[in-house]
Amino acid sequence: MTDDTDTTDERTDGGETGIVPPDDETPAWSERKARKQGLSRLTYEYFERARREDQDLRQQSSYVERDVLGFPAWPHEMVRNLALTSFFVGMIIILSATLPPHIDAPANPSSTPEVILPDWYLYWSFGLLKLGFLNPELSLLGGEKLMTDRTYGVLANLVVVGIVAIVPFLNKGSARRPVEQPFWASVGVAGVVFSFTIAVLSIKNLVPIEEGLLNDLTFLLPIVAGFISYAVLKSMREGYMFNLNRRYYRLRPPK
Amino acid sequence: MSLERKDDHDHGAWLESRDDLSHIETAYLTVLMWLDKRLRIVDYLELLEDLYYKVNMQMPKSHTEQYGLDNKFWYWYPLYALGSFSTLAYVVAAISGALLGFYYTPGAGASETSSLAYQQIEFIMLELNFGYFLRSLHRWSAQVMVAAVFLHMLRVYFTGAYKEPRELNWLLGIVLISLTMVFGYTGYLLPWDQLAFWAGQIGVEMSLSIPLIGEWVAQLLFGGFTPNPATLQRMYILHVFFLPFIVTALIAIHIGIVWMQGIAEPH
Ligand code: HEM
Repeated sequence: MTDDTDTTDERTDGGETGIVPPDDETPAWSERKARKQGLSRLTYEYFERARREDQDLRQQSSYVERDVLGFPAWPHEMVRNLALTSFFVGMIIILSATLPPHIDAPANPSSTPEVILPDWYLYWSFGLLKLGFLNPELSLLGGEKLMTDRTYGVLANLVVVGIVAIVPFLNKGSARRPVEQPFWASVGVAGVVFSFTIAVLSIKNLVPIEEGLLNDLTFLLPIVAGFISYAVLKSMREGYMFNLNRRYYRLRPPK
Repeated sequence: MSLERKDDHDHGAWLESRDDLSHIETAYLTVLMWLDKRLRIVDYLELLEDLYYKVNMQMPKSHTEQYGLDNKFWYWYPLYALGSFSTLAYVVAAISGALLGFYYTPGAGASETSSLAYQQIEFIMLELNFGYFLRSLHRWSAQVMVAAVFLHMLRVYFTGAYKEPRELNWLLGIVLISLTMVFGYTGYLLPWDQLAFWAGQIGVEMSLSIPLIGEWVAQLLFGGFTPNPATLQRMYILHVFFLPFIVTALIAIHIGIVWMQGIAEPH
């Protein structure tokens, strides 16, 4: 058993293993892929292109790469993470120890409570349900509403979530900081303020403001806040551009 | 000829021949070899190693580093912790929730005064050691999670981090924040007190007002057109079975995408 001539494969149950050793005849992985048809062929071709593109870009690029590996995960990153984590979890624990939860009377289908409210983070949605006063009455239908106020409210929820969802497809380009895109930043501020005012609207029976005024404020305040932040950001942008220009001309003084 | 298999690469003998190893090292190698013989761990370790180096060896200089911009927006950076804080609060809620689950029973069946679910909550709050605190912890971590998620979304919005190539993560985020709120809503119904019951009523009405499929949705989610024992049972299963799996998976994908794409930096 020890000499070299004896090492022909005696161990298989018989016959060939069916495993072909790679030699010149055996197609490589990429060749096997290249022979494919249809969609997998397209996938392969695209991947090859993409890989070549990456390669080219990397070769052309003057992008500076670090010659260090970055911060060591231990202890630097881990100590920081542990500190943040324990601070944060500690905060939750202190909150729960000092402000214990409430439990109401048992459910009773035959007595409707004065105030029905969800948790605070659903107030905005609840407020949108109370927008019935905006539901258009069509004179065409003889003052009838096209949909019930309830349907209108649910639709308002969908519209708001939908608008937030398509933001990346509306606002393109490489601007990131609020000063670089005053318009979108002020839209954001208006949105945040609206989420508060609409939340207040949802508890309107608890708010000592007259109803018509509250309805108006719900929509006016966000617009005002939006305009103010637009003005502020615009003027900040002037200062920002001034600094950039100054730096530029310091580096390359005009001849 | 013996039936004993011959060991081509006699790792055992190799191990014996190494007398410079400590007990820990020997034990480690023995386990590793045993597992590797059966599971070919070596291949997978190689893959992992490959991944590790691809990720860590050559980090391009970040935009901030390259242009020395660090001093300009350090004040944004704390806000970048909000996503991790959402995850943390989620973990705390999951742990405290699992513990609450040891004691809670859904059950809104008719009884003169209060339901089984309500009695269980009373038991947790009044009799169980630390039960009061446990419920408090669960509620607060849920609230803090929603707050953190909302602020995280604002951070992403105001730093323009949703732009190409991160649109998908933004959409995924919308799904996540909605599911977080559904999580909160279903949990809100579980004590089956007055608030829960009437919040349930609002939910039923909301589903009913959806055109065409409203009644079907109300039946599916709430098991009827007024809150009833089936409603509680369904909210319970949503809260402790469906949502945990779905949300955990989505958070993993969300963070996985952040890992693949890197954090967007302000320009
Ligand atoms: C359960 C809720 C969520 C969790 C646990 C979560 C977690 C995270 C984490 C850990 C990050 C890494 C960066 C950071 O921490 O800021 C991140 C990034 C991101 N999140 Fe979330 N997130 C959640 C909800 C959302 C929501 C509601 C949105 C937006 C609608 C969103 C959109 C994004 C985007 C676009 C990024 C990439 C940001 C960048 O590259 O700078 N996420 N998320």
